[in-house]
Amino acid sequence: MNDLIHPIPSAIDLYQEGVLGNLDITQIGEYLEEKICIPFRIRGNIYKGFSKKRIGEISKELARVKVKDPGKKFIEGTPFQAEIDYEERRIRDPYWKIFGILYEGAFYQEIISNLIFKGGVDFKRCVVFFTNQLFGTWDRDDQRYHARVSLYGFPCLISLPGLVEAPAKPKEFYLKKQMGTPVEWLKEEYQGRFLDHGDSRMTEVLKGYAIQALLFHVTGDPFCDDRDCRFFNSHWQEEVLHSQMNGKYEFCPKHEKILETIRDRSM
Amino acid sequence: MVQKKNIFTPVSEKEVTRAIVDGFARQFIEYVESDCLIIGGGPSGLMVGRDIALKGVKTLIVERNNYIGGGFWIGGYLMNKVTVREPGQKILEELGIPYEKAVRGLYVADGPHACSKLIAAACDAGVKFANMTIFDDVVLREGNRVCGAVVNWTPVNALPREITCVDPIALEAKFVVDSTGHDACVVKKLEERGILKTVGFGAMWVEQSEDLVVEHTGEAHPGLIVTGMAVATTYGLPRMGPTFGAMLLSGRKGAQVLLQKMKKK
Repeated sequence: MNDLIHPIPSAIDLYQEGVLGNLDITQIGEYLEEKICIPFRIRGNIYKGFSKKRIGEISKELARVKVKDPGKKFIEGTPFQAEIDYEERRIRDPYWKIFGILYEGAFYQEIISNLIFKGGVDFKRCVVFFTNQLFGTWDRDDQRYHARVSLYGFPCLISLPGLVEAPAKPKEFYLKKQMGTPVEWLKEEYQGRFLDHGDSRMTEVLKGYAIQALLFHVTGDPFCDDRDCRFFNSHWQEEVLHSQMNGKYEFCPKHEKILETIRDRSM
Repeated sequence: MVQKKNIFTPVSEKEVTRAIVDGFARQFIEYVESDCLIIGGGPSGLMVGRDIALKGVKTLIVERNNYIGGGFWIGGYLMNKVTVREPGQKILEELGIPYEKAVRGLYVADGPHACSKLIAAACDAGVKFANMTIFDDVVLREGNRVCGAVVNWTPVNALPREITCVDPIALEAKFVVDSTGHDACVVKKLEERGILKTVGFGAMWVEQSEDLVVEHTGEAHPGLIVTGMAVATTYGLPRMGPTFGAMLLSGRKGAQVLLQKMKKK
């Protein structure tokens, strides 16, 4: 479809949580500004400025939305105090690096949305939230949760560990892993064919996901079927690297035109 | 002709029996009440025991098998090499366990050597063991605080009930540690009683689950500290593969939490 369904936002707000390694958010903002002529604002750590009491409440909400069994539909439960304490430690420490819990994406998005928009979504702002945590969504086809790189909505969530863990690595990687080859060895063997944590290509690749967020904001459809276009919805690491870094062109003719329309209307 | 002297001093069978019964009974009576009762003698339980016993905490480890050490004797696929990720090798060094670097951040040690050294370290620190003893139930006090465990001989559980009507007995302690691995037996018993609810562990994901296991190690319920893989089962964390760094570090963290709690008590 790709017709504009929302007004062109007047600003792009870039939020983050936790340590994002060598990701350069400013560079992503500059890229968006260059491509669509909408100014960006670096909003920093999403949890800053909240009271101790509010942090306690947020911790409880986050502890509630953990996917504990990826093979079963999510049921909101009562978290243990230790789980709430873990979340509190995590969100209080801006240098937090540990991840591995899979959060229920839609619920996670709702929590973040309430923190940013405080109840009412503001379509004049395109909000992109970069996280060092992992979220997933339920797949109705194979009846299980899958980790995701991005979850488009208001705000759009982009997960750094998701970029490493969600798109599949080469098939041989998994076959050898199943046969007991240590992951560390496999990472050396398949180096370059997938993104790893702290990968220097993260910023370049996530520029594409950030512009997908913008496209979703104005059209409701962030993806393209053309694997050479940065809007391609990649499921394999090799597709991610191809569409974001090695495609024939940056955007397919159709999406180049849409970006032109956005640029024209935003100026 | 000069008669050849026996190598060993002659003792009668009854004296051997008396020595076994007396030695066992004296220790058992003393440890019917302890400061800390650790259920499960795998790497995390041994590590908790070793660290707290070094601080003078009276500690008994209950182990359902004859052998202590749990899965620490062998690594993945029954191969007797155990791996730890950085910084787990620091504990290997501390215990005098030889290891070598596999790749950056991953170290490998000989399973039997690592396991026997850890057991010896726990014994040297003063930990006592009740092996071939199976956890049966929890002892609860006011506010459902965990204050001990009900145990029985392991063989009793392995035989048909009609011929093994052996009632269990109770051991009391200021704190109980659940180090029973994926089974999380003590936590599960509280769940059976409707006191708390666990969710089981998620998919295997070594890289991240190690950090999460250590981070979540602590008091899950008043009087009950959970360590090692029981942490993953309790909080629904990803399942771990054959790397033992988190077991050792989780045990160490469990010991720290326990020492802090004992100080406050």
